[in-house]
Amino acid sequence: MQSVAVPGPIPWDAPAVTRRAADSREIEFAQLFEEYSAPIHNYVLRMVGDPDRAADITQDTFIKAYRKLDTVTEATSTRSWLYRIATNTAIDDMRRRRMVTPMGNDAPAFANRPDQSPGPEAQVMASTLDERVHRALMQLRPNHRQCLLLSDLDDMSAQQIGDVMGLSYPAVRTLLCRARGEMRRALSAEGFAR
Amino acid sequence: MTGHRHESFEELISASLTGDLTAVERQRLDSHLDTCSQCRSTLAAFADQRRIMAGLRHVGPPRDLDARVRSGIEQGRLASLPWWRRPAVIFAGVGGGLAAVAGALLAIVLLNGSPDGPQVGDATPSASGTILLSATPLATLPPPVRSGAPSAAPSQSAGTSAETSPAEASPTEAPITASPEPDVYLALTGPFDNLALTIRHGPTGETIAEIDTPSGPPIAAELSPDGQWLAYITRFGESGLNEVRATRIAEGIPSDNPEELPPVDSPIEVGETIVLGESVAGSPFLEHLAWSSNSQYLGYTLSDASANSTDVWIFQPGVGKPRQVTNVGNAYAGSWIPGSAGTSQFWISTAGDEPMSYLRPFRDSAGGGSGPGDPAENPISTAEGIFQPLLSPNGSRAIYWKGRMQQSGDKWLFVESGQPYLSEHSEDFEFASERPLFSDLTVGRDAFTTAAIAWGADGDAYAVWRTQWTGIPQGGDKLYPDPQRVYFGHATDPRGLTQAHAIDEADLPEGASVVDVKVSPTGRHLLITALRPIGGVQEAPRASLLLVERNTGAVADEVLALGSADDGWFGPPAFEALTETGTP
Repeated sequence: MQSVAVPGPIPWDAPAVTRRAADSREIEFAQLFEEYSAPIHNYVLRMVGDPDRAADITQDTFIKAYRKLDTVTEATSTRSWLYRIATNTAIDDMRRRRMVTPMGNDAPAFANRPDQSPGPEAQVMASTLDERVHRALMQLRPNHRQCLLLSDLDDMSAQQIGDVMGLSYPAVRTLLCRARGEMRRALSAEGFAR
Repeated sequence: MTGHRHESFEELISASLTGDLTAVERQRLDSHLDTCSQCRSTLAAFADQRRIMAGLRHVGPPRDLDARVRSGIEQGRLASLPWWRRPAVIFAGVGGGLAAVAGALLAIVLLNGSPDGPQVGDATPSASGTILLSATPLATLPPPVRSGAPSAAPSQSAGTSAETSPAEASPTEAPITASPEPDVYLALTGPFDNLALTIRHGPTGETIAEIDTPSGPPIAAELSPDGQWLAYITRFGESGLNEVRATRIAEGIPSDNPEELPPVDSPIEVGETIVLGESVAGSPFLEHLAWSSNSQYLGYTLSDASANSTDVWIFQPGVGKPRQVTNVGNAYAGSWIPGSAGTSQFWISTAGDEPMSYLRPFRDSAGGGSGPGDPAENPISTAEGIFQPLLSPNGSRAIYWKGRMQQSGDKWLFVESGQPYLSEHSEDFEFASERPLFSDLTVGRDAFTTAAIAWGADGDAYAVWRTQWTGIPQGGDKLYPDPQRVYFGHATDPRGLTQAHAIDEADLPEGASVVDVKVSPTGRHLLITALRPIGGVQEAPRASLLLVERNTGAVADEVLALGSADDGWFGPPAFEALTETGTP
């Protein structure tokens, strides 16, 4: 998938932007971007498994965040709020892809290539640990993957995960337990011992 | 040790890894782990897993992300490619044979000669070719006047017999007593990779609200009676799924009448949209939105394909959240009893060999309400054999379905003797004096599997479309019932619907198909959202919003296209409810 055409990098400190940086909204957003763009991108990448899509979703997350910046209050956890936007944007993206026939010029570039991959066993042996864990993650249901990533990658508590996913505390605990069970099986299929 | 017990400890083991255990739970888990090797093994596996996950490589964002975000903010566009970038079955391959329609904002499109001449039972033709509606764009028309009770509006039924002379008034003599144009309509416009869904003011075309990230084109819309909310359904591309949403488009205006309740306030701000759920697409029984007359509730149906279950949900603007109200797996939203205060009453139907309808109470003051349940438990009233009663706006009439239903895939359909009926609906919730809606069809074991039905605000006019007929067509050399035609009738017309009640074939552009129909408060105009074929997969979906004035006999219907004819998807529209005085 391609992203929208961008006329060229527009650095944050470009004159026009600098003028606007006087605006507290701009400063607040710049801080938000600096602090969270990397972890949000990493989270989204692990969610969708595709670098181009992850970049687009992260981009959209921050565009939406900018538009909704006024809605953040002191009582709102900025982190949970931003992760919620990212999660919803990623889910929207996954839904769209699940719901359309994978054909045409937007299909993954590798879809039409002949399958030259090695067999499962050789694949496991040849892959890096990171690739194997990532493959296991991608076997999980999206909501299981989400809560596992928020817990173990982003170190969120059940309460924080609930804020992001719109779930109650008990519901998160149950979901997380199921996700761990599912991940255990997926890791086992990737050759992890336990 | 049973598996079930291990399961309950697994949740504690999982929670222990993130410090989410109470002291009591910690003690309980520790005691258990002392004696259970299986759970110790689970703890070790989960702990390993957490370490593995935490050790995943962090992948940084692309270097130009900040520039892309800034560019997106400045250009007001998002990066994600919309679903219509991909080939879509119904849009692709239909061909580009669309007759070119002028791109003017509003334009008279067609004034067709009737291909068939007078139809059996039609009113006497009037002067041919008379244009009732001004060719002036609607935006410059005088302000809409909705004076007089709706029943005073002339009933210009196609097929009205000589005995029903009041309905035969020549179209040229019939004053338009209410505005035919919608209060609002939806529009999906822009280049295919950056479409914007907007809600527009009907008379002026001005944007009232812009909706972020539309999932697909809108196919149904209903305005809350207080005008604060637009509920609508959008397609999710060719996924076979719909999304139900509601956007708050206005603040409530308190009434001057101190006896009237204040408008329903909501935690959701004007301009915000709430997603109310997703559902299987393609069934008119599912694509039905029902507002209560006090605007306290929106009733709708969600069908979950993975669970093979269909249940009724409600959205309470005052609470700001949707909630599931049935859990029986075969329940469908019907209609609210209009005018109820304190307690709203809602007809909910269950599909089955013999469908049923149950009238359920909803206490208006109840905040979140109780959990989902069985509509058959202690209903106010039960109607055996009746499915999805659609009450006329004043509640005095109903159109509903009868017949044998079966589940086919993820939808419930009529498989035997299914057809819609028209009846009176009494104050004690009885359906009386029923008659088949289509009077010239021999049903027998054949059936309509489904059809879409809409009442007009006058409580007399109604439209039926998307008819799916399982039997042999009965129209002689014409397809009847025809799924591509709209049948327009009036409850006061004793003959119901016949083949002659189909609107003119030429009302729709070539190759177009009907997505949605609304009957305007005039009782003689239809607003049709017509899906138009597009030329290729890289084109955005298109639909015309057509205002059809129904004429009879040799006088062809008049059709006016609202919105820009070539540039986007326009419709469905929505009307504000008329009050008892006939004003919105």
